[in-house]
Amino acid sequence: MTERNWHSHRDAKNARLSSALSLLDGKFAKTKDVVKVLETLIKPGDKVVLEGDNQKQASFLSAALTKVDPEKVHDLHMIMSSISRPEHLDIFDLGVASKMDFSFAGPQSTRVSQMIADGTMKVGDIHTYLELFGRLFIDLIPNVVLVAADKVDREGNLYTGFNTEETPTIVEAAAFHDGIVIVQANEVVDKLPRIDIPSGWVDVVIPADKPYQLEPLFTRDPQAITELQILMGMMAIRGIYEKHHVQTLNHGVGFNTSAIELLLPTYGEQLGLKGKICRNWELNPTPTLIPAIESGWVDSIHSFGGEVGMEKYIAARPDIFFVGKDGTMRSNRALGQVAGQYACDMFVGSTLQIDQWGNSSTVTHGRLSGFGGAPNMGSNPTGRRHSTPAWQSLKPDDDPLAKGQKLVVQMVQTFGSNKKPVFVDHLDAEEVRKEAKLANVPIMIYSEDTTHIVTEEGIAYLYKTDSMEERKAAIEAIAGVTPVGLRSDPKEVKKLREKGIVALPEDLGVRRQNAKRSLLAAQTMDDIVEWSHGLYNPPAKFRSWS
Amino acid sequence: MEKLHFTYQNTKTIEKFVHVGVVASGDLEVLLYPADETTVDIVTGSDGFKEVWKNVLNRFFDRYSLKGKFIIHDFGATPGVVNLRLTQAMEALNDEE
Amino acid sequence: MKCLWLFPGQGGQHSGMLEEVDSDLKKQVESWTNVKLLDSEEGYQDSQQIQLSILLLQVDQIDKLKCKGWKPDLVAGHSLGVFGAAYAADVIDKEDVFKLVSLRAKLMQNSYPSGYGMGVVVGLSRSEVADIVAKVHSKDEPVYLSNQNSELQNTLSGKISAIKESLQLAKENGASKVQLLRVPNPSHSPLMQKVAARLEKEVGPIALHQPQCIYLANNNGHPVKDVNDISYDLANNLIHPVFWETMINVALEYQPQVSIEFAPGTAFSKLLKAKTDQLSIITLQNMSVDDADYLLNKWKGKYND
Repeated sequence: MTERNWHSHRDAKNARLSSALSLLDGKFAKTKDVVKVLETLIKPGDKVVLEGDNQKQASFLSAALTKVDPEKVHDLHMIMSSISRPEHLDIFDLGVASKMDFSFAGPQSTRVSQMIADGTMKVGDIHTYLELFGRLFIDLIPNVVLVAADKVDREGNLYTGFNTEETPTIVEAAAFHDGIVIVQANEVVDKLPRIDIPSGWVDVVIPADKPYQLEPLFTRDPQAITELQILMGMMAIRGIYEKHHVQTLNHGVGFNTSAIELLLPTYGEQLGLKGKICRNWELNPTPTLIPAIESGWVDSIHSFGGEVGMEKYIAARPDIFFVGKDGTMRSNRALGQVAGQYACDMFVGSTLQIDQWGNSSTVTHGRLSGFGGAPNMGSNPTGRRHSTPAWQSLKPDDDPLAKGQKLVVQMVQTFGSNKKPVFVDHLDAEEVRKEAKLANVPIMIYSEDTTHIVTEEGIAYLYKTDSMEERKAAIEAIAGVTPVGLRSDPKEVKKLREKGIVALPEDLGVRRQNAKRSLLAAQTMDDIVEWSHGLYNPPAKFRSWS
Repeated sequence: MEKLHFTYQNTKTIEKFVHVGVVASGDLEVLLYPADETTVDIVTGSDGFKEVWKNVLNRFFDRYSLKGKFIIHDFGATPGVVNLRLTQAMEALNDEE
Repeated sequence: MKCLWLFPGQGGQHSGMLEEVDSDLKKQVESWTNVKLLDSEEGYQDSQQIQLSILLLQVDQIDKLKCKGWKPDLVAGHSLGVFGAAYAADVIDKEDVFKLVSLRAKLMQNSYPSGYGMGVVVGLSRSEVADIVAKVHSKDEPVYLSNQNSELQNTLSGKISAIKESLQLAKENGASKVQLLRVPNPSHSPLMQKVAARLEKEVGPIALHQPQCIYLANNNGHPVKDVNDISYDLANNLIHPVFWETMINVALEYQPQVSIEFAPGTAFSKLLKAKTDQLSIITLQNMSVDDADYLLNKWKGKYND
């Protein structure tokens, strides 16, 4: 009996690296050789992680992947947390790749739908971020990972700084299971500000022709916040944040939550809530939170990723943010998602559709946008054991073995920006499941996890309902004149209000007439810059003066 | 441009004139006068939304049975904004002078 | 700098629109097609005049822009606009495209003398309109869901009586606007099968070339790079809906920085403005080619970093 080779992966990796020796000087390859490097190190059928989340993109490497010879490199199985750039899909048109496991595809959702329909792309599955990260260590262990770094030193240590995001997670999955780690670097330097990823984990470094693509995704201009959003924000603060003593939380990235952030130093202050709510955050560094930070509301913020323009402000506030000794923030998407799921009392998000039972989805006809991280944070982690007042406040009192529950809040206006109802009998996602032949309906957040829905009409406290019928009636009561809302019976609404299952603004002591833009702590980007003492530097497209 | 007229059998008498809202795109103004009958007259820039208006008004008056003369100038407000302005008018009635 | 070129179809024609067009080109077109282009209100009552004049206007603008060194990365044409798009992508030669469109117009003109046409429904989603059409459609009263102009603007094609019934139902079901269009054919529906079959025969022998850029196909909204897919679209787009909304969504996913809408009209630029703030937009209806050239040069520095 021949002895099994227990290091075949390592042998294969070494063989590949040896064949690329002529292209390498130590770990370093030349910019112009990038296509040859990829053709030499990637083999047909490989599982390849291409770094692309919704902000930071390994754009030099993804562009190079469209130029490889499909005779040499084909049928790759791509693993990507976010399909964001056109070339992420061009490689399927070219035959370089054939299968995809992903999490989010918002910026390319139409083409993804088309490519699934015509068979150009086979989909393994659509995941949440955490699931996908997890599978990198279980059954989607990569052969090659292609990632981006800000700076690299001569030994190959990496600095990923502000936008570290998921780079360490991806690299770890390859580096310790004999995958090949290929890095594009914005800059080669003698000394790094700090080491985010040690050189021992890195196989090949290629200086990029230009810096990786980076988008300011979470910047919301307060000028675009409407009175309806302010009203909803006031209701949420009164009827949810205050009522449940919410201390630890994650906010979505829409204008609704921006409004809340800007109401804390004004409306929240009037209510005397400072120090009582919203102290510890898992959140990308949104500029609209600056006034609340400056007013002393916030104890700590951990971030999934960076946000363009916030660098200097964060460097000057290390008590609040997670900042290295060098003065730049360290973000981490995987740990951020864990924190958002397990360590936060509340998730506040938004969606495109909510059905009559309270399930919500952002998938619409012809657009398969995937999930991202919302289902992680917008679900009740049944493995949670630590207790807080907010979590306990949702504990049912009729069960001796009961435990608390996470607050999962959806904030939506009853009609979307396209003037179509957000509340519908059936989600488009049900049809999309058939079109794209998915195993499950792509629901973002399930009814059973949704504890509150806030609309411009009021709040439905779904966790208090005893039956699906009551849950539906509560949703109808705040669904406005959508087809779902029109079924609402005024007598039933009265009962639900008495039981505290539905609250209108007057039930919460919120005066609609106070829902004015002047109530926002900052009404323009300039105001935010002023709050930041000039430390916040808005990206060009948000600047009024340049 | 479309003119719409609705009547309702409401119960709660109002005491004073109220004006809320603004003349701006995506918004509307509501003028509310004390009267013995409830009438709603709407001038709107967006045609084809009579059914939606009826639904918004029904829902509002189901919750707040205000008796008065409503004049509405609409500049393409969403149902949510219409409801906000109507409920703000309701609130203004209860304000102390 | 990634550039999206957009070509409208019929609807925006107006007398005098050919005034700036190169006169030699115009003469050439007239001799190729044996049609004297009147460029007048009376002239534009005639489908052949409309189609040839719009194509001429677009080809003239394409030639002038290309002469200044600009070329598209993505082309999208709406209905008749596919021919300008195919020409801009170097798929079809000039003489061939005018002869083909001349025939297309003639065939369309003779296909349905009366009683057939198109309507538009605004404010309902495509699936809502599809449900309505399914209720009305029958063998004797044919009506089809046709073009998808935007998320909430879809057209119907078929027998006028069936369209009217569908429009009425749409109105009752919450459409904010319904209207019969001044189009004498049930275009972009299976009722155009005969015309498409004849065009298919005509396109067959024409020497078409591989496209030099991505072409957004009318018939399914897909980005295509193969000449056979474009050939199919040119001959058969009349029997399929124009999936314009999908075409534009796909085009935007390629992340162009600039869009150029060829004349006549401004509708597509307005739709784009409502959809994205990531695009610098040129509308040739409102701007000379020289002005467009100036702007493109200015933006080139900004986008080619």
